[in-house]
Amino acid sequence: MNIKFIASMTYSYGISAIARGPSYLIASLTLPLSLLFMVSILSGGALIVYAIIGGFIALLAANSLSSAGDAAFWRIQLRMQDLFVTTRITRIDYMLALTLSYFVGSLPGIALYIVIGLIYHIFTFETFIVLGCLMALVTIATSSISFIVAGMVKHVRNIWGIASILSVVMTLLPPTFYPYTELPPAALYALSISPVTPAAILAQNAFGLVPFNITLVYEMVAILLLETIVFFSLARHFTVWREK
Amino acid sequence: MIELFNLKKRYHDGTYALKGITIRLPKRVTAVIGRNGAGKTTMIRILSTQLEPTSGTATVGGYDILNDTDAIRAHTSSIPQEASPIGFLTPIEHIRIYLLARGMSFKEANAEGSRALKDLELWNAKDTPTDVLSGGMKRKLFVAMALAANADTVFLDEPTTGLDPLSRFEVWAAIKELNGNVILTTHYMDEAQQLADEVVLVDQGKVLERGSVGSLLERFKGKVRVESSDPKPKARMQYKVGTTRISYVKKSMINEFISMGCTVRPITLDDLFIVHGVDLQEEGEGGEGEW
Repeated sequence: MNIKFIASMTYSYGISAIARGPSYLIASLTLPLSLLFMVSILSGGALIVYAIIGGFIALLAANSLSSAGDAAFWRIQLRMQDLFVTTRITRIDYMLALTLSYFVGSLPGIALYIVIGLIYHIFTFETFIVLGCLMALVTIATSSISFIVAGMVKHVRNIWGIASILSVVMTLLPPTFYPYTELPPAALYALSISPVTPAAILAQNAFGLVPFNITLVYEMVAILLLETIVFFSLARHFTVWREK
Repeated sequence: MIELFNLKKRYHDGTYALKGITIRLPKRVTAVIGRNGAGKTTMIRILSTQLEPTSGTATVGGYDILNDTDAIRAHTSSIPQEASPIGFLTPIEHIRIYLLARGMSFKEANAEGSRALKDLELWNAKDTPTDVLSGGMKRKLFVAMALAANADTVFLDEPTTGLDPLSRFEVWAAIKELNGNVILTTHYMDEAQQLADEVVLVDQGKVLERGSVGSLLERFKGKVRVESSDPKPKARMQYKVGTTRISYVKKSMINEFISMGCTVRPITLDDLFIVHGVDLQEEGEGGEGEW
């Protein structure tokens, strides 16, 4: 693993990017904060904690999924991926660099959500650790999906639409901003195709927002771990690197 | 030394980009010339391990492109055709990231990157986001990356396309400064003449001819190219390119052809294409100095 490359790319494309283009940061915060506001108003404040916890997960997932746009753009349009293929880095280094760049771009949003969470006193040390683990797994899984999709598109124009669809389907439909108990069991398992769903269910259980369901927690831990491993493995093998 | 052994590439749509090329490229600077679609870029992409061949193989510095990709990547650098920098990253960030990806330390990457930027007159723009640089400066940045890499073999795919004449001269000077072997593709015949110890002429996935510029132009010794769009001297013209009729005549006959309204031009590598019957008009693109 080329740590120096990953660190340099993360710094330049993540941290510097925030300084040079704050509009991206604002754009990435717009949807989760708008939903937080809407959920708060519509539920009379009753569901705001769901929206805060779900917002963490949705923000990271949406940011990771939007990296598909850059992955495809760099490969097809800029030809930057060709440049990196001929160096000593592996596709995993490249994926990690882009993923961490986007993760860094999510940090101000995460900080904002932490502040909101502290205001509402939702965190304990244990729940904070659980949320951190869930966010890490969701980032890996959704970034992997991004790279798989980015490798499949032939024309850059298609990726922007696909990334938007994925972002909505994988972050808003799952029970991120509402209790999963509102969903019929069949829908719950159908929506579990998105790693965000098991993460949101686990978060709602961990934070005590719903009656603790040990069976469901075990199932969702298994599903989330399995999806993370499967999507990462698929990305590792099917992300276009040296072309055939 | 680069060697290709019956190298073939067939794309998914059935197009053969390379039709079994076997060739040794022992010279320091080799220019692969040909029209768009001739197979130049495919050849470079395969040799630099960006693309797998359909069959056949090649060696770069003794390393096999199928089995020794890590070794080839460690000893070569490659600048893709039409590569564009990432908009809001600066030139120094591009070079640093590229050199770190090649395995250099931060210190080496900064030192080599700075040196290359200075050599290519990009130093003053080192902290400027690349989306505000001119097209020429963006292209020079990629050549600076190749320069900074200090690789044994450098692949440059159309390094000066889109550059103004002054920038081209600067890039040529930088290419001449490269320490290792250079394989470059180009549309510009004057570029090949300026830089290359050997020229490989490819068309439709095959090598038509190869040799030094001097040896390739030997057949035209003592001759000039005469052109006419007027059908009158048709009988005396050997080749037709679009509506232009072309012939190669001894210099002693220049006045005779001028009196018939023909234009007289000096021989260049362009003429190799004409005598090989490559239909230059088929391409339908390109401008001055371009196929």
